Amino acid sequence: MRFLYEIENLKFSYQLGFQKVEALRGVSLKIPHSSFVGLCGPSGSGKTTLLSLLGLIENIQDGSILYNGKSIRELSEENKNELRKYDLGFVFQTFNLSPVLRAEENVEYFLFRQGVPVKERRDRVRLALEQVGLWEHRKKKPLEMSGGQRQRVAIARALAKNPKVIIADEPTASLDQKTGREIMEIFKKLCRYHDVSILLSTHDPMAQSYADHIFDLSDGEILGERKKEIVHDSPDFLDSFFEVVGG
Amino acid sequence: MALRNLLRNPRRTLAVILTVAIGTGSLFIYHGFNTGILRQYRENIIHARYGHGQINTKGYRDHIFEKPWEHWISDYRTLESQLSVLPEVKHIFPRVEFFGLMSNGRINVSGKGQGVKGELEAKFFNQLNIIEGKNLDQTPDGILLGKGLAHALNVHAGDRVTVISNTVHGSMNAGDFTVSGVFHTGVKEFDDVYFRIQIEQAHQLLDTQKIESIAIGLKSFEAWGDFQKIIENKFPNLEATAFAVLDKVNYQHSVDWLNSQFAVTQLIILAIVILGIFNTISISILERKQEIGNLRANGESLSEVMVLLGTEGLALGICGAVLGIMGALAFNSLFLEKGILMPPAPGITKQEYVLIQFQPLMAGLVFVLGTFCVVLGTVCASYKIIRMPIAEALRSV
Repeated sequence: MRFLYEIENLKFSYQLGFQKVEALRGVSLKIPHSSFVGLCGPSGSGKTTLLSLLGLIENIQDGSILYNGKSIRELSEENKNELRKYDLGFVFQTFNLSPVLRAEENVEYFLFRQGVPVKERRDRVRLALEQVGLWEHRKKKPLEMSGGQRQRVAIARALAKNPKVIIADEPTASLDQKTGREIMEIFKKLCRYHDVSILLSTHDPMAQSYADHIFDLSDGEILGERKKEIVHDSPDFLDSFFEVVGG
Repeated sequence: MALRNLLRNPRRTLAVILTVAIGTGSLFIYHGFNTGILRQYRENIIHARYGHGQINTKGYRDHIFEKPWEHWISDYRTLESQLSVLPEVKHIFPRVEFFGLMSNGRINVSGKGQGVKGELEAKFFNQLNIIEGKNLDQTPDGILLGKGLAHALNVHAGDRVTVISNTVHGSMNAGDFTVSGVFHTGVKEFDDVYFRIQIEQAHQLLDTQKIESIAIGLKSFEAWGDFQKIIENKFPNLEATAFAVLDKVNYQHSVDWLNSQFAVTQLIILAIVILGIFNTISISILERKQEIGNLRANGESLSEVMVLLGTEGLALGICGAVLGIMGALAFNSLFLEKGILMPPAPGITKQEYVLIQFQPLMAGLVFVLGTFCVVLGTVCASYKIIRMPIAEALRSV
């Protein structure tokens, strides 16, 4: 079986003032394609660091990560940029939206940078925003939106790129339970029906309940792995989007 | 995207544009002020004593002659008519200089006389500061005295003065004159000895029709080079000397000194402007760490981010520099139309309004400088930020 990610003895440390913090202490795990993976654990357990390494936004110090069988260490900076641009989508706890752009422009921006033709770009933006229920709010800037709406824009932005993997760092941490649940539903459907792998870090039990694979982390180590039976329920609202993007 | 970013973030955009505009505008105004001062000073000197320059027989100024009048210009009326048809020439002022003994009947004082065309010179040499009476103008027997000379003779406007001098043939001659006025140039050595009479009176006194020199008033200062070449080519026995050479110690040294001082001040202003622009740009880039991290996280390469930020910088620089130049022009026409009242310049006794003289070349230079500073500041400030680990940039607040 080929895996999306194969992580072997991953170690990572950083300096915090005069103190060296060992964020990951030899993590090994395998993530299958099209899986919904939750990295769970308390603050400081290494979830975000692991996600950063999987998302190629932090450099590997020790150990190895294979992405689709290729070692990330051996990728050139250009190849890493390509992967980040086309394969990976990010959803952050703090949304990281451009405050000066409207919702639709935030979603459109990376498509524009990918060189997607104007018409297709507009279609993908529209559908992505419709899927997250924000088409009516497309003209609003992030500061004019609620936390839940901003996170939906961030998801729409990631979704519009048609990525193979969405990396979400504490996506529900800034949201109320109801909104958090709606966000997790979007992730679940993306994963189930459209083969998008979801890697998310969370310490929210509600968010954890949506993941098929859960890796429990503590002090930079994997304490255990939990798996859940995948039940394919009705494929519905994302179909039209994936028809447009050819997913 | 770069332009959209600028338009959608008016606070940051405005801060940078205003910094660049104030910087470039200040430099533009300062340079215009310096140019104005030097131009005003030049015009003052031209209209004080020498005109744009002077014509003498060749080599006359380089030698001391026992009988200088033997080397004066003969038949100056023909020369005058030849010069008057030259397109560059606007005014021709024939002059003679001679030594004379002056007397008011009780006191005798030696002085140096200038025979001039009083009416013509009074119009052109308007920087001569008449402190009593009036200029020489049309009065046939008028005499204009330097302040020190008038004081030594204890005479005032309307008093009679006798001038005794040698003719060019060696005999004594004398003439009676009425003091038309007293002048003050601020140069004590000049004010203590010089007096002016009509050139016809000087010719009678010296018993000659020759002239020593011709001061020239041109249509513009810039025409001097062409005029000098014409004199060299058409009149091989004559030579033309620019006022800056004639008045080297007073004028040229002052100009050189002022230019050096302006250059130092300009460098200081430039340094402040560059630091100000760099500082504002750096703050603006630092505020965007997370945004830059986000761009990198979504696959933008270092060079793509740098091009994006550089394009923004270029647009900001262009807008700021254009606004600075336009602002300086507007400020000048609104508030400095009359100029800035300055104290008397070296060798001049009058206060003068100095006009800001904007130079197209300087507009181009400050435009390039302002734009370049912003682009360079953006590249320098961005260099470290875009190289930050992406995760660290994303964590920045």
